[in-house]
Amino acid sequence: MIARRRLSTGVRALLALLLTCLAGFPLFWIINTAMTPTTDLFQGQQRLVPDISRTLDVFSVLTTDTPFLGWMANSAVVAFGTTLLSLVMATMAAYALSRYKFVGKGPMGFLFFATQMLPEALLVVPLYSLFAALGLLNQLSGLVLVNTAFAMPVALFILKSAIDNVPYELEESARVDGCSPLSILQVMVVPLVAPSMAAAAVITFFDGWNEYLFATTFIRDRSSWVGSTGLASFIGEFSTPLDTVFSAALVFTIPAIIFFLLMQRKIVSGLTAGSVKG
Amino acid sequence: MTVTTSARTQRATRRRRFSWTPYLFIGLAVLYLLLFAVVPLLKGLDLSFTNTRLLNPTAGKYIGFDNYDHLLGSGAFFKSVVTTLVYTAFTVVGSLALGTVSAFVINRFFPGRILARAVMVMPWAVPTVAVVLVFRWIYNDSTGVANAATAALGLGERGWLTDPSYGMLSVVLATVWKVTPFVMLVVLAALQSVPEDLYEATKIDGADSYSTFKLVVLPFLLPTLRVVALLMTIWSFRRFEIIWLLTGGGPVDVTTTIVIDVYRQAFNNSQLGLAAATGMLGLLLSLIVTAVYFVVEQRANKQNGVNA
Repeated sequence: MIARRRLSTGVRALLALLLTCLAGFPLFWIINTAMTPTTDLFQGQQRLVPDISRTLDVFSVLTTDTPFLGWMANSAVVAFGTTLLSLVMATMAAYALSRYKFVGKGPMGFLFFATQMLPEALLVVPLYSLFAALGLLNQLSGLVLVNTAFAMPVALFILKSAIDNVPYELEESARVDGCSPLSILQVMVVPLVAPSMAAAAVITFFDGWNEYLFATTFIRDRSSWVGSTGLASFIGEFSTPLDTVFSAALVFTIPAIIFFLLMQRKIVSGLTAGSVKG
Repeated sequence: MTVTTSARTQRATRRRRFSWTPYLFIGLAVLYLLLFAVVPLLKGLDLSFTNTRLLNPTAGKYIGFDNYDHLLGSGAFFKSVVTTLVYTAFTVVGSLALGTVSAFVINRFFPGRILARAVMVMPWAVPTVAVVLVFRWIYNDSTGVANAATAALGLGERGWLTDPSYGMLSVVLATVWKVTPFVMLVVLAALQSVPEDLYEATKIDGADSYSTFKLVVLPFLLPTLRVVALLMTIWSFRRFEIIWLLTGGGPVDVTTTIVIDVYRQAFNNSQLGLAAATGMLGLLLSLIVTAVYFVVEQRANKQNGVNA
């Protein structure tokens, strides 16, 4: 029996090693490519061990020779705006869906779910003409507005399932004491669902951070590009050295990895609960 | 105000009074989605009945169902539907299989589990543009590591992104790599919600590990797997960036899914009307799949009800 268990642990570890290598290899390859001189890369001389000593050189080239840091700053603005706008609306809407029964609740809930189905590629054309009319093309604020439409429902699912799990009794007594619903939400509910707020913040932030389709269609000025469009502009062009391109990819990726690893449990429980209950 | 509150709450439990409060809370979000999702959708629907061109967007004329007639009569549209279904099927099956296996592996202790779990989650967080960049480099014809590996194994070299027979495979592999962690985490959460005493009970009853799996784990897992399959399907239907940036729909259109078709018609051929009609038919496909899912789900629930 013990021998069998040991065997299965061994098989498990081996399988895990294989899966870890599969998952980790492309990430490792980003690092490795960033740390290999471009001349070696194009002679098929990429070694399997990254040359860490090149780190500082590579990143100083990235900061001096490309506008990538500026593009990342634009991404940060878009992502931060998306997060703020999404969380304010999603928190209030989640509270309504969780605590009240009202006429039209079903259709409104469906509206939030249905946005998961809308292809961005379909909406990009009408949104383009809408934004052209509103003077929002070439504006980072335009990206904030459109990203929020796709990110906010996801935040709403996470927050609704979190609020569902907060006992109602506390609020009941506060309400009897004459607190307004908005202050109950602010003072009592939001602190209790803070971890889920953080998870929702991470997911909406990186929705804005990663988004490419709207950014590439709406933003034409090179100086207003965001990280994703800037990075994509390196694809198929040869004037930027490949190791610099991959160092840009690395810098663009690291914040996302850190925050997702910190928040993964909360994000997953929120997403699944939200989609199961609608 | 406070005097009447307790009486009011007592009555409220019996019959709820109309109140503006929930509408004030949810109103902003609903209006927002109406403006930035529903209005564009309706505008898209409107466009799909016109011959609007990108270069002169105000000069479009209504042409009735011509765009739809054209699409439904064209082989290219059906090819993009088939391509979408193939891409979706392989991505969903691949990520569900790999994600479920990963979850089972991670669910029990082994040395190095925490590190393995962290690495296995990471692809989920990598921005799509970075994913594309590294996969294009891996798939590169002359200097890519994929060809170095197949050559070393004596399998020769492939045009991963240039040979029409491999384009779909390459795109699916990159997508599966990116989305599998989500499946893994969701399945893992479901596995960990299986009550421990259920395991104990079946063990006492002398069940072997296969029947434990069949009787205890699978019933817990199936609803989760169905939801994940639905989400993965819907997301695959609308997935744009990874395909567009990897292949642009090529080589020779083998990865031109419906959304790629929409974007190319709009921004390469500047046919906004036709693009909108294509997108509408794609959306219809998503709606059908979702409807089928909910029918299946209800049947499954009914069956469970009978069994219990």
